[in-house]
Order: sequence, then C-alpha cells, then structure tokens
Amino acid sequence: MPKLLKNLPSEIKKNKMKTGIFLGLSAYWGVILVGTFLQVN
Amino acid sequence: MEVFLPIAEVSVNILAIFSLSGIVGILSGLFGVGGGFLMTPFLIFLGVPPTYAVANEANNILATSVSGSTTHYLKNTLDYKMGLMIVVGGVFGTLLGILTFTYFKGIGKIDIVISLAYMYILAIIGTAMLVEGLGEIDKARKKILTKKKLHVHYWIHGLPLRMRFQKSKLYESAFTPIIIGLIVGFIAAIMGIGGAFILVPAMIYIIGMPTRLIPGTSLFVTIFVSAIVTVLHAFNYGSIDLILVFMLVTGSIIGVQCGQKIGESIDSTELKTLLAVLLLAVGIAIAYDAFFADHAVNEIIKIDVKNLNPLSQFIRKLSDEVPILYGLFSIVFAVSLGVAAAFIRKFLSALRKKYFKKAA
Repeated sequence: MPKLLKNLPSEIKKNKMKTGIFLGLSAYWGVILVGTFLQVN
Repeated sequence: MEVFLPIAEVSVNILAIFSLSGIVGILSGLFGVGGGFLMTPFLIFLGVPPTYAVANEANNILATSVSGSTTHYLKNTLDYKMGLMIVVGGVFGTLLGILTFTYFKGIGKIDIVISLAYMYILAIIGTAMLVEGLGEIDKARKKILTKKKLHVHYWIHGLPLRMRFQKSKLYESAFTPIIIGLIVGFIAAIMGIGGAFILVPAMIYIIGMPTRLIPGTSLFVTIFVSAIVTVLHAFNYGSIDLILVFMLVTGSIIGVQCGQKIGESIDSTELKTLLAVLLLAVGIAIAYDAFFADHAVNEIIKIDVKNLNPLSQFIRKLSDEVPILYGLFSIVFAVSLGVAAAFIRKFLSALRKKYFKKAA
C-alpha cells in the first residue's frame, strides 16, 4: 500500500485522461448527492 | 413559431420540438434505445410541465416502438412468448408505478421526484456507458482481445415454474421475465420512458436471449407498457395533448429511420462515449434546474375555452368528457402513425432497390 501511494503521482502523470475522468465523475456524483441531501432536508 | 398546447396549457416552439424529437430519434436509431430518457428532460426544459412531459412522451414511445416492432415482425425477429411473459410483469409494474405517481402528485412532490429520478438514471447510465466506451477504445488501441462468458448464472435462474422458450432456445423460470417486466413497468409509469435501457441489458445478461431477437422483443414489450401508461395518464390526469403527441411522433419517427440508416455505415464505439457525455450533461442540467435555479411561481391562468381555436376546443372537450375514449384514440393515432412509417420505409426501400436494379 505505501509503495502504491509513493508511486501515485507518477501513475497520475501516466494516466492523465483516466485521472481527469475519475475526478470529473467524482465531482459530478458529489454535486448530485449533496444537492439531493440538501433538497430532502 | 409558437403553438399553444390546449391540454398542457403552455406555448411551445414547433421547430424546437420537431428538431429535438428528430435528433433524439436519430440517437435512438443509432444506439437502439427508446430515447425517452432524453426527450422527457428536453420537454421539461422547453417549458412543458413534468407531469405532461411524462405522459406525452409515453405516447410518443408507443408510436416509435410500434414502428420498430412492425419492421422486426416483417423480419421474423421477435420472441412473442418471452415478450408476453415480460408484459405480464410489466402490467403489474405499471399499475404500481401509477399508484406511486398518484401518491407523490397528491402530496405535491411529483415534479421533484421526476427530476431526481431522471438525474440518477442519467448519471448511472452515463457513468456506465462512459466507463465501458473508454474501456473499449483503450482495448482497441492496445489491441487486447477478451473472451466473454456466454451466460452467467444468478439467483434469479434458480426460481421455480421453468418453461421452454423455443424461439430463444431457453429453458428458464417464468418469474425471470416477469420480475424484469415488473421493474421496467414501474420505472416507465413514473418517468414516461419505454425502459429499453434496462430491458435490453437484462435480456442479454440475465435472460441470455439471442442478440438478433432482443431489439424486436424489447420493442414488443414497450408497446404494451407505454400503451398502459398512456391510457392510465389520460384517464387519471387528462394529461395527453394530441397536438404535442403529433409533433413528437412525426419528428422522432423520421429521426429513428434516419438513425437506423446512419448506424448501418458507422462504428458506434466512439459515438457511445459521446452519448455518455451528453447523458451526463443532461443529468447535470436537471440537477442545476432542480437544486439551484430560481423557480418563478407560475400564475394560475384560467383559460377561456371560447378563445381557443376549434381544434384545441375539440381536443379539450374530448379529454374532459370522454377520457378513456380520448386515451384510446391517442393510442390508435400513435399506432397508426408507427405502422404507416414502417410500411413507408419498406415501400421506399423496395423502390430504391428497383431503381438501383434498373440503373445497374
């Protein structure tokens, strides 16, 4: 696990597109879930 | 060019409705999905209240599915027995969905429920399609070939009442298609969609039907589900607007036929990724509209029936006085347009073959 964390920046550099999509989708789902939570309350 | 919808009581732009239904129709033809999960949000953005958008889109889906399944009937690529089993579940699911719709309408929360349902469905499908599409592109670049399992067994395959489906060459529990139909019918009634995006993967991965029978059988099921949704919406809420239905049906039938033609000549892997991005964009637009946009309180405008044109007056009178007959008429209207489109396509195709033969 620590080895993976150490290599993470280089992995991110290698797969810029995949990282971008992952972050984009995370933000997307974050907005939806937070919005729903606020709406329900 | 604005036109007043006598039942929905809003004015819409004819060109916007025609072009949007045409574009969604092209996407439907290209990807083999009904397109309801795109068209209903578009109608809501154009100012049609969600309750009306759901009901009228269901009527539109009826026309396009009749058109598509007639083509498959002529090609003999339809499993009626499996289709009818799914319809049995679909009928109960639709009734359950209408009861849920009535409950949320009663407490005044139906608009937000529809918006949330769309947002989540679009987000889930968009994410799944994007991940799958990018994976396929990645594999194609790296030239990786993967072997897929023919059929995976889930708990659903262990259910009793097994029967033989000769056309699909399957021996399966009758409960499998019934449960799938139940889920599809429930979602269709609340969201005004055909449910093909759930039905098609379920037919491939859970039922394990042969691929060539899937589009026809899926469209066959959609006919019954959307017909029930249309009648129940017309009878319960009087929300079917024949003028809107006519515009939607015309645009989408032309679009579907064009989309099917385009799909024959292009590779759809990269387009699938683009569609996924489009779905996610529509999902976030609904999220913005539902969570952050300021909603102006709509004034309740009492419309004087005498000020409407004779056609609008006739439609309103029919909807108010004989809702079941009106619902049945809207179904016959959609079915006729759908069948006519399938036969026109067959006629044009025969004409083209004849012309090309002569030219050769």
